[in-house]
Amino acid sequence: MAVKILTVDDSKTIRMIVKKAFRPFDCKLFEAENGVEGLAAAAKEKPELIVLDITMPVMNGIEMLEKLKSMPDLKDIPVIMLTAESGKDNVMQIVKMGVKDYMVKPFKGEQLIERAEKLVKLEAKKAEDVAVDASSKFFSLQGDVQIMTMPVKINRQVNTQIEGFLKIKLQDIVKSGISKIILDLSKAEETNMALIKVIVQVLQVCQKVNLNIKIVGTEALSEGLKGFAETSDIKITFSLDEAKAAF
Amino acid sequence: MSELNSFDLKECLTNSIANVFDTMLSMNVEFDGTCEECTTGNRIVGTVGFAGKVMGCINLHIGNRFAEIITASMLGMEIEEIESDEDIYDVIGELSNMIGGDLKSRLCDADLECQLSIPSTTAGSNFKIESKGWIKQERIAFISGEEKALAEVFIKISD
Repeated sequence: MAVKILTVDDSKTIRMIVKKAFRPFDCKLFEAENGVEGLAAAAKEKPELIVLDITMPVMNGIEMLEKLKSMPDLKDIPVIMLTAESGKDNVMQIVKMGVKDYMVKPFKGEQLIERAEKLVKLEAKKAEDVAVDASSKFFSLQGDVQIMTMPVKINRQVNTQIEGFLKIKLQDIVKSGISKIILDLSKAEETNMALIKVIVQVLQVCQKVNLNIKIVGTEALSEGLKGFAETSDIKITFSLDEAKAAF
Repeated sequence: MSELNSFDLKECLTNSIANVFDTMLSMNVEFDGTCEECTTGNRIVGTVGFAGKVMGCINLHIGNRFAEIITASMLGMEIEEIESDEDIYDVIGELSNMIGGDLKSRLCDADLECQLSIPSTTAGSNFKIESKGWIKQERIAFISGEEKALAEVFIKISD
């Protein structure tokens, strides 16, 4: 069962850093931008740990903590406070409030995990799940069409990453009832072997799992692909709309 | 007043910048005098203010390219993966907050109590930030790789 963790911070940057730190573990992360949203999320989700910033608009972390401690069903949730201020008075105030731990920014993700492990049991995710998680940045859904968007630079590292999740991810897409996918290569700035490998891999897996695929790219890419035996016959469409209409 | 005179603003600021860049971005910075060109041209300025027994502010002038590099590093992604300018502004704001938070803590420990504001950012090319009437100020340029930025801090005793 995934450990529920709530991160409350007005900075998207810090929420992303917290989420990234917990990514290798079997956790479900919830986010809130201030104390008011944080209390609502805590009441709804009953997290097992809250990572709480102090300085926030609307309701700051200290006010949220006071309210949390006055709620019988939420008062025992362990809280790690985050603060940009390491001064003696600030630290004393935090300690007096009965928080389980605190961290002074700047901090590394590993330091947060070290502290969280003292409060909740974190279990590493299976390698398969980590790979599928890594796939999320490539995929988005537009209506009934799954879009797989490739980055500007496609290199061996991207290749290896895609290899790790492609089959499982595309099988999951088919299981969810989607039958169309667009491989969007319009951002790719270079037609290289890594790109060719991605195209071939995606086409092969799509064929295996029965996904209908279209490829979007630039005219330069279309020309470039003609120079490789593996991709010389591939038809490229030049916009997502054109690709959707071609299904 | 004597607490402020004996407060080593320059050392505090350089230590904070080095610590934040090392911890959050795994970047080494070198300090390099000042940088006139850092306060002109396309840039993002992260600002935090502090008020109490002492008043002041910190401005972090970071060129657009450096800001992108910092954002990608902070969020563990490639520059091309940055979703919007808002993400860059948020990162620069947070960076200013961390440096400002550290300075504020040092001031409080030196009996110069003050509170920190929520960070703000200003982006553009044709603007100048003028700060006048301060007792103490420091401008420190720093370099990481090929990129250069400027941190400036202004401080005075409250009236």
